[in-house]
Amino acid sequence: MPISLRYVVLRLLQIVPTFFLIMVVVFVLVRLLPGDPTSTMIGDRATDADVARINAQLGLDRPIVVQFGIFVEQFFQGELGDSIVNRTSVLGLIAHRLPATLFLTAFAALLAVFMAVPLAFIAALRHDSGVDGAIRSAFQVGLSTPVFYLGILLLTLFAAHLRWFPVGGYGETFGDKLYHLFLPALTLALSLSAVLMRNLRNSIVEVLEAEYVDFARAKGLKARVVLGKHVLRNAVIPTVTLLGLNIGTLIGGAVITETVFAVPGAGRLMIDSIYGRDYPVIQGLTLAFAIVVSLVFLVTDLVQAALDPRVGA
Amino acid sequence: MKKLIGALFSIAIALAVALPAAAATPGGKLVFARYADSLLLDPVYNDANVDIWILTNLYDTLFLPTDDGKDVQPGLATAWQAADDGLTYTITLRQGVKFADGTALTADDVKWSLERAANPKNGIWNFLLASVDTVAVSAPDTITIKLKQPDPVLIKALATFNTAILPQKAYEASPGATDEEKAKAFAEHPLGTGPFKFVSWERNVSMKLTRNENYWRKDAEGKQLPYLDAMEFVTIPDDATRILKLQAGEVDGSEFIPYARVAELKADPNLDMQLWPSTKVNFLTLNVRPTLKDGSKNPMADPRVRQAMNYAIDKDALIKLVTFDVAKPMISFMSSSTPYVSGSGPAFPYDQAKAKALLADAGYGDGLDVTSLALAGSADDTAILSTVQQMWSQVGIRLKIEQVDNATRTARYRGGDFQMRVSLWTDDIADPNEIVSYFADFKNIESMHTGWQDKKVSDLFDASLKEMDAGKRAAQYKEIQDIYMAAPPIIPLYESPYPVAFRKAVKGFVQIPLGNNIFVGASVEK
Repeated sequence: MPISLRYVVLRLLQIVPTFFLIMVVVFVLVRLLPGDPTSTMIGDRATDADVARINAQLGLDRPIVVQFGIFVEQFFQGELGDSIVNRTSVLGLIAHRLPATLFLTAFAALLAVFMAVPLAFIAALRHDSGVDGAIRSAFQVGLSTPVFYLGILLLTLFAAHLRWFPVGGYGETFGDKLYHLFLPALTLALSLSAVLMRNLRNSIVEVLEAEYVDFARAKGLKARVVLGKHVLRNAVIPTVTLLGLNIGTLIGGAVITETVFAVPGAGRLMIDSIYGRDYPVIQGLTLAFAIVVSLVFLVTDLVQAALDPRVGA
Repeated sequence: MKKLIGALFSIAIALAVALPAAAATPGGKLVFARYADSLLLDPVYNDANVDIWILTNLYDTLFLPTDDGKDVQPGLATAWQAADDGLTYTITLRQGVKFADGTALTADDVKWSLERAANPKNGIWNFLLASVDTVAVSAPDTITIKLKQPDPVLIKALATFNTAILPQKAYEASPGATDEEKAKAFAEHPLGTGPFKFVSWERNVSMKLTRNENYWRKDAEGKQLPYLDAMEFVTIPDDATRILKLQAGEVDGSEFIPYARVAELKADPNLDMQLWPSTKVNFLTLNVRPTLKDGSKNPMADPRVRQAMNYAIDKDALIKLVTFDVAKPMISFMSSSTPYVSGSGPAFPYDQAKAKALLADAGYGDGLDVTSLALAGSADDTAILSTVQQMWSQVGIRLKIEQVDNATRTARYRGGDFQMRVSLWTDDIADPNEIVSYFADFKNIESMHTGWQDKKVSDLFDASLKEMDAGKRAAQYKEIQDIYMAAPPIIPLYESPYPVAFRKAVKGFVQIPLGNNIFVGASVEK
């Protein structure tokens, strides 16, 4: 393997300041938003005395620096406080809700790759033909249809009418989850696969015209070897980067998909928490998402380094 | 007089608790889809309808609201008597009642539960028991409540969710240093005497209940209640998905069907689209303070402007456009299901000429500008405000719509930093005292944060809180409504029903005007 240990450690160390920055920024930003959790939660009917009493109970009447100090202290004790709205521990909520989002995101990414790679090859090998045009236009539709609308369409057709899949939900066993999450994952995968497919197709077309490919062919290598070892390996590098970068977008898309398909994931929790100004949950979830995205970026970099020895030196 | 009523009431208990004698099939499971999950299943500390509306399936109160939501029937109490001065109530408890875990309900549980509910430090509902001074156990089956002042609404307060009776020992054994911490812990696996027993709860996914084998109630034919063996509440926030689930038969019922789809579901032969009369009123809240937050003069400080705004809205057209003709015009600021409602015919019938004359009279013959807050993403807010915008443009009122999220709206509204907003309200108690204290009595929350105040109204309201004569109370509430509606700090739009749809096989569900979802008499027929 061409990746040095030093490279991995450096990349891991870079995550630490990112984290601290995220903690500070999120902590301050949520408190700069107009509105506050207490009056949002107890609604229009609460008296000012009710709001003041509950703020004091929650410690929200203390200076922001003190509140941040408590947050950091809790963080190092492995705690994230209690949700103001749900009135349970934030850590518990995240542990309960994040797996569904991760499962959904990973499932969607896999589906996207399975759809994009073979079709990109077909489109590239016959580039500028009718087949190429048809594949690209079909994906264009996937890319340009809003996720929630696509979700409702798939639900109506495959779940309500054909009854092939359940109308939303999450499932309990692994197989059950695959079955429940297939439609939401497909919804998410369609737009991502469109991006991946176009990108991969263009790289393959470019690589196919490169001199080293001509050379490999001239050496008399079999077409399969040329495509697999020389073309795909080089063409896939920008696509891996793109996939990594898009995981964040995928998690963003999961927020809407989870609502339409009634998947009890962290995306939906995030939206509800922002609407409810549930500070501890917003903070905790942002950190959790930051960890996930940082790890995905790290893995992306490592894969890229493995594919391209120039990167991981 | 009260004694007499109490005596009559005691006779009523001899009869079975009134439930329709439909030939219900016992057994089966019912899955009900809700738009949002519950948050805290504690009667005292909760603050949201997602809790209030299902609590009665788990816990009982001393009295139970009747299905029309206007009166009470016996619950864990079988009779009550008031002393002549109206300051002492003696309440007889039902014998042989057990909690869902089999432990017996005692008078101590009742005393402790009521004291917890009345404690001004606990939650936001204690005002409903503000008159209570002490609660004492006077015999194993009797409690005595002493009041600070006569309270005509006490018995109805004892039929309201926050006075539910909990098992003291189990509650106090819950972990936590404070009462609120114990409440949180206890509410994770609630235990009551209600028709259903709590089994498990996966937040935002599902809550499972099973029948309470120890439940005390039987139907009119003597069959044991509840009929269902099990219930499951599932959370499906998306309206379209919640309906698809019902159509696919994956759930048996769905709440909050959007009005736009009521006609479609009514026409579906497999479904039973129900519209339950409610205490829900939809209105526009106006800021009536003389100056706005930015220091500028507020045209809506003039009652004539507010009257004009009311007359310039064609409520029938609005009801057709926004609710697809499901709602009806309001006759007062309170719903027509609220006791003591008064008013003759729809409030402020549509009259453009009158609106123009009132505006000219107030010095706004050339028109005026108003901005309303709208909840971003709310289809109802957008539909209501764009319709009103068009209607008002006919009389020279130029309405601007400002989209904000809920937290921002709440903050600006509470801070008086607004001109107008779309609001809705439902009663929690079968009496007008709650809505009047919030809408019309300045000292509570500045009359729904409008800033409106009227000394006569506040005096009448204070008097009504201790008036034991029903006729005099009715007169007091009529006068309050007359004064309020003559100088309306709100624009009443419509009162709307609760839209719930079930599979045809489901019978016996009831949603009372206060919102409570009652499954005790529900069954799934073959």
